[in-house]
Amino acid sequence: MTTTHGVSGDVENIAEPVEDPADGVAVRQVRAALQELLPVAAVITDRARLRTYECDGLAHYRVTPAVVVLAEDTGQVATTVRVCAEYGVPFVARGSGTGLSGGALPRADGVLVVTSRMRAIREIAAADQRAVVEPGVINLDVTRAATADGYYYAPDPSSQQICSIGGNVAENSGGAHCLKYGFTANHVVGAEFVTPDGTVVELGGRAPDSPGYDLLGAVVGSEGTLGIATVLTLRLTRTPEAVRTVLAAFDSTDDAGAATSAIIGAGIVPAAIELMDALAIEAAEAAVHCRYPEGAGAVLVVEVDGPAPEVERELAQVEEHCRACGAFEFRVAADDEERALIWRGRKSAFAAVGRISPDYIVQDGVIPRTALPQVLRSITALSESSGVRVANVFHAGDGNLHPLVLFDESEPGQSEAAEQVSGKILDLCIEAGGSITGEHGVGMDKMAYLPRMFSDTDLDTMQMVRCAFDPRQLSNPGKIFPTPRLCGEVPGRHKGEHPLARHGVAEIF
Amino acid sequence: MSDGSPGAAAVSAACDDVVPAAEADAVDGVRPELIARPRSAAETAEVLAAAAAHELVVVARGAGTKLSWGAPPSRVDVVVDLSGQDAVLDHAAGDLIAVAQAGCPIATLQKTLAPAGQRLALDETVAGSTIGGAVATNLSGPRRMLNGTLRDLMIGTTVVRADGLLARSGGRVVKNVAGYDLGKLITGSFGTLAVITEAVFRLHPLPEATAYLTVDAADGASAGPLVAAVVHSAVVPSAVEVDCGASGCVVAVLLEGSADGVAERTRTTRALLDRAGASEVTVASEPPSWWGSYPWTDGQSALKLTTALSGLSRVLAAAHRHGAAVRGSAGSGVLYAALPPDADHRTSVSELRLACRTEGGSLVVVDAPPAVKAAVDQWGPVPALDLMRAVKQQFDPGNRLAPGRFVGGI
Amino acid sequence: MSGTDLPTPTSRPGGAFDAHRPPDAALVGDCVHCGFCLPTCPTYVLWGEEMDSPRGRIDLMKQGLEGEPLSESMVGHFDACLGCMACVTACPSGVQYDRLIESTRAQVERRHTRTRRDRALREAVFALFPYPKRLRLLRGPLRLWQRTGGDRLLRRSGLLDRLAPSLAAMERLAPRLRSPKADRLPERLAAVGETRAVVGMLTGCVQAAFFPGVNAATARVLAAEGCDVVIPTGQGCCGALSVHNGREGEAQRFARALIDRFEEAGVECVVVNAAGCGSSMKEYAELLADDPQYAERAKSFAGRVRDVTELLAALGPVAPRHPLPMSVAYHDACHLAHAQGVRAEPRALLRGIPGLELREIADGAVCCGSAGIYNVLFPQPARELGDRKADTVLATGADLLVTANPGCLMQVAASIERTGGRIGLAHTVEVLDASIQGRPAASLTDGG
Repeated sequence: MTTTHGVSGDVENIAEPVEDPADGVAVRQVRAALQELLPVAAVITDRARLRTYECDGLAHYRVTPAVVVLAEDTGQVATTVRVCAEYGVPFVARGSGTGLSGGALPRADGVLVVTSRMRAIREIAAADQRAVVEPGVINLDVTRAATADGYYYAPDPSSQQICSIGGNVAENSGGAHCLKYGFTANHVVGAEFVTPDGTVVELGGRAPDSPGYDLLGAVVGSEGTLGIATVLTLRLTRTPEAVRTVLAAFDSTDDAGAATSAIIGAGIVPAAIELMDALAIEAAEAAVHCRYPEGAGAVLVVEVDGPAPEVERELAQVEEHCRACGAFEFRVAADDEERALIWRGRKSAFAAVGRISPDYIVQDGVIPRTALPQVLRSITALSESSGVRVANVFHAGDGNLHPLVLFDESEPGQSEAAEQVSGKILDLCIEAGGSITGEHGVGMDKMAYLPRMFSDTDLDTMQMVRCAFDPRQLSNPGKIFPTPRLCGEVPGRHKGEHPLARHGVAEIF
Repeated sequence: MSDGSPGAAAVSAACDDVVPAAEADAVDGVRPELIARPRSAAETAEVLAAAAAHELVVVARGAGTKLSWGAPPSRVDVVVDLSGQDAVLDHAAGDLIAVAQAGCPIATLQKTLAPAGQRLALDETVAGSTIGGAVATNLSGPRRMLNGTLRDLMIGTTVVRADGLLARSGGRVVKNVAGYDLGKLITGSFGTLAVITEAVFRLHPLPEATAYLTVDAADGASAGPLVAAVVHSAVVPSAVEVDCGASGCVVAVLLEGSADGVAERTRTTRALLDRAGASEVTVASEPPSWWGSYPWTDGQSALKLTTALSGLSRVLAAAHRHGAAVRGSAGSGVLYAALPPDADHRTSVSELRLACRTEGGSLVVVDAPPAVKAAVDQWGPVPALDLMRAVKQQFDPGNRLAPGRFVGGI
Repeated sequence: MSGTDLPTPTSRPGGAFDAHRPPDAALVGDCVHCGFCLPTCPTYVLWGEEMDSPRGRIDLMKQGLEGEPLSESMVGHFDACLGCMACVTACPSGVQYDRLIESTRAQVERRHTRTRRDRALREAVFALFPYPKRLRLLRGPLRLWQRTGGDRLLRRSGLLDRLAPSLAAMERLAPRLRSPKADRLPERLAAVGETRAVVGMLTGCVQAAFFPGVNAATARVLAAEGCDVVIPTGQGCCGALSVHNGREGEAQRFARALIDRFEEAGVECVVVNAAGCGSSMKEYAELLADDPQYAERAKSFAGRVRDVTELLAALGPVAPRHPLPMSVAYHDACHLAHAQGVRAEPRALLRGIPGLELREIADGAVCCGSAGIYNVLFPQPARELGDRKADTVLATGADLLVTANPGCLMQVAASIERTGGRIGLAHTVEVLDASIQGRPAASLTDGG
């Protein structure tokens, strides 16, 4: 509405059209319809405001959405989606905007549906081990609400203090503790879901094993390409009787990696095993003063939890294996405060790297755990040969690497060099039999890499699901799959040609 | 289709081992024409491609232990028998993963893993079941409470599509969000979307010690609090099962872990059960005879009942009223019931279904004599059925994979 | 300070900001968009929208630096920031949002033309709050206003409607007005026992006018702990309200005067008992960096500013504590916890009192909505935040709410009163004073 650049009505502009996708005919119709159907405060069209939604947690992709809808309930989401479907305008769902693969990157010709106001925890049903929440609820708030009943919500992404459940569902988020407790997909049992034609359906339910296809299983982790979840039923996990967190310091990542393998090899499944190398430690120390042991080439954060007698025994075994692998310090957190301090260092590590480098790329790849030492050595070699510094932070227990590739954008060539190193790290992961993403998702960022993991047929098969849910590909289009599949006969009013291309600017005022 | 038809010839050309079907090969009473036994995923793909070219209807089969589950197919031309693809392809002990072919019996896989102190945390509730059959029917048993079901354990799949193309999803690492997770969609789909040929699983360490605590309860209503006492505690049971018959119920708790740990947790659990009103708690290192098996026998109707945890007592009581023997994973809200042949199936199914639905669950008639299947609604109301049909349409537009076996006639 | 004689913002190539201290592009660039600031930002907590979060406001600054005009909507979102600095604490990347918003606000004040009503309100606020004497003179009429429900004529102006409730809340909370003599502090109070430090004491504006008891308690506690306390007469405002609202020149004037006054006093450090004042006094070096006459002196002065709890914790206790058997919920004033990083010291001092049980308030990092004069300028969101805080404070079940800022006390008290809850209110030093003097716990909870 208040577009301040681009199209205006004078003759010169018609002679030399300015392509503004936000001002296409269909988009204008959608904007008008939404303004009529939704509360005033729910529809954002002011340019300055729209621009604050340009990106999610991956700030180097930026697109200004044509419209932002701050939905308050399922009805408003469904209305928005229906209007988009009617005019063939794409929509993108966004929660807290903390995603690291550009999954919530808006469309210039589309609507951004923001769920950050849908943040009611509707029910904590401890007797059913379930929580019923809206998608904008912050991950950590579920645990906070369930604590008094002796329960918690197990998936704990490092951004759990701000990431939303809706975003977690889109990305199938993991976290440090998913080594033992699984990912979002293992903890979401039901959803109220708006399909890309605006229909509201129930998927799964409060009890397990709903009859029919496990559509919820397909939806979780589909990065918003199948529709928008508006209510989620979550599994709550019993708060463990005992939790012990230790910080083990090693001379090198090799030693820390060996300790990880020894622990897992001994049949222990800790709640978490996290590894940080010297550079990552330096950053965390600068940011949160977590007082990790000085001179450590690597630290492991190991947490064991469960019934007290099992925990004490596992802790002793963990110490034994760490010492055998050369740990020079083994610090057991004495109380909640010390435990929190140990975790603070780990959980703030990504953003903390901003303290030691002007710019950086957070990479996310997975390797089989046994390949850890070999892949880490390759990353070191890569770093040395390219002169690009790489800090390593990762979920060692499940082989999920988060190399942080450091660079300074203001130095010519550094950005490209960093991109290259970052890409080569993914190649290393694929070569080792791993994955190009363990928890951040493909989004915008890794579309180009997906075909290195999967054949055309594999990707085509996945997109058969997409075609079933969203034949017109309006729900977060242009993400995950580098080559969209044609869905065959498409129901609906029209498709294909962009309205702008057809109507040109002659129709604009 | 007949023996000499072009379709039969094409299938025979695609696969070295194709024989005419016998009476015993009937799929829930529907007799196929041919049995094809491909020896590899590639050969399986050839068979499916041939079937596609000649519009033949295909049903996949492993050991054939659950062929009567679900609804009978509307037609079967070719049974693709995967029992020859029975290998454990890989066991990466250090990575806690294993890769098995679809025809591999669960027992074979477990035997391969055990020497490394590992297992697939899946109970073999139907003896002789293969991996593929377990995935198709979403088989689960007591350990689902701690370790989840196949959707949680399977991290990678290879399937052959209806058009004969091989497609993979997931991978060999536990943590992986690249692309859609087709494994979950395939799990429990009764062979209606694709034919699974390989699966990658995450494994768990074998416990050092095991204890089974059993306690009698007068009925479902008094079993409920015993179950709840353990389920809401922090002793972390691997399973909490019930077995209810005409003479009352038994609640059984499985604890797994270190020797010392299990001993101490056994004491804690016993105290919890005592406090919840248990009569006498028995501790054993071996499971009770009924453990990990379904309550039905031949000729009975097999039901799967699910409920939110808080509804357990009420669902057990309802089943008791209908004379059903009930057994299952009380700690997960998943129960199995057997209705005697002389039961009023229509009434029992609809009333029990209502009882389950009231508690946020559902009732599915897993298996039953043909007359019963014809008389009752096997699946009950299924939300999002349109979406399921759309998925089926995409994966199998010709409706040639196990047609009619699944919800809503899919 | 009207913007009428400045060129219109849109005509500037620099967009929203001019060349005089625009928000630093490098600081803006430090933000990695991780979102960790969102859950602690009071306006994001209220409204759940990006443009009313620190991350979104930094985005708006970035837009401004890139050439977007200083639009009405942009100004609205900058204005809506409470300046609580919870985001600075939460930020793992070390983004200096405090510096960014301060320079942005100064730009807004200079370059944006506010509505007449808004201007009038702000002028009234700044003609009143920084002047202890004017505030004090207003107390009598205020009591009258309270009793009568407000003079109808005054109410019709709308202005008093905004100002009066806040002032009235102060009046309700403040101890009964006594003759000025009763609360007058001596210019010098000698240490009890051996002198361990010679300190100057800021008496403040609101504190001096409405809570003279807090100042008296501060002086007594300092003396009891071995400080010679110097209390210069004729102290003006520290300039906190001005600097936090973009009134740079006014703030600088106040700062220079205060520096002059305390330099004459010759003290080792300057002790402050109001969080907002302390935080801005610690930033005098930045405020006067461009003033050749004052730059060095401001730096030296700022280095000697201490919150009273900081000083007491550093000195360590010598005065014996008498037991206070009561439960206390300690509320972190934003300008103490976030701006000055003083969290442990007041807690340690309170825990040091025998019999006293300290309780934490849930979501403690989120502002109560007082935020200087925010509750005057934006009464609605301030009230909602106050109500949220009141809920969490009451949920602790504590006997007494303790905090280090007069604004917070009034804000939370007003909300608690509205919700019908009951809890005692005190400044940290009043609790210490009661313990050292051996007064009973009831002296704190009964409004004495």
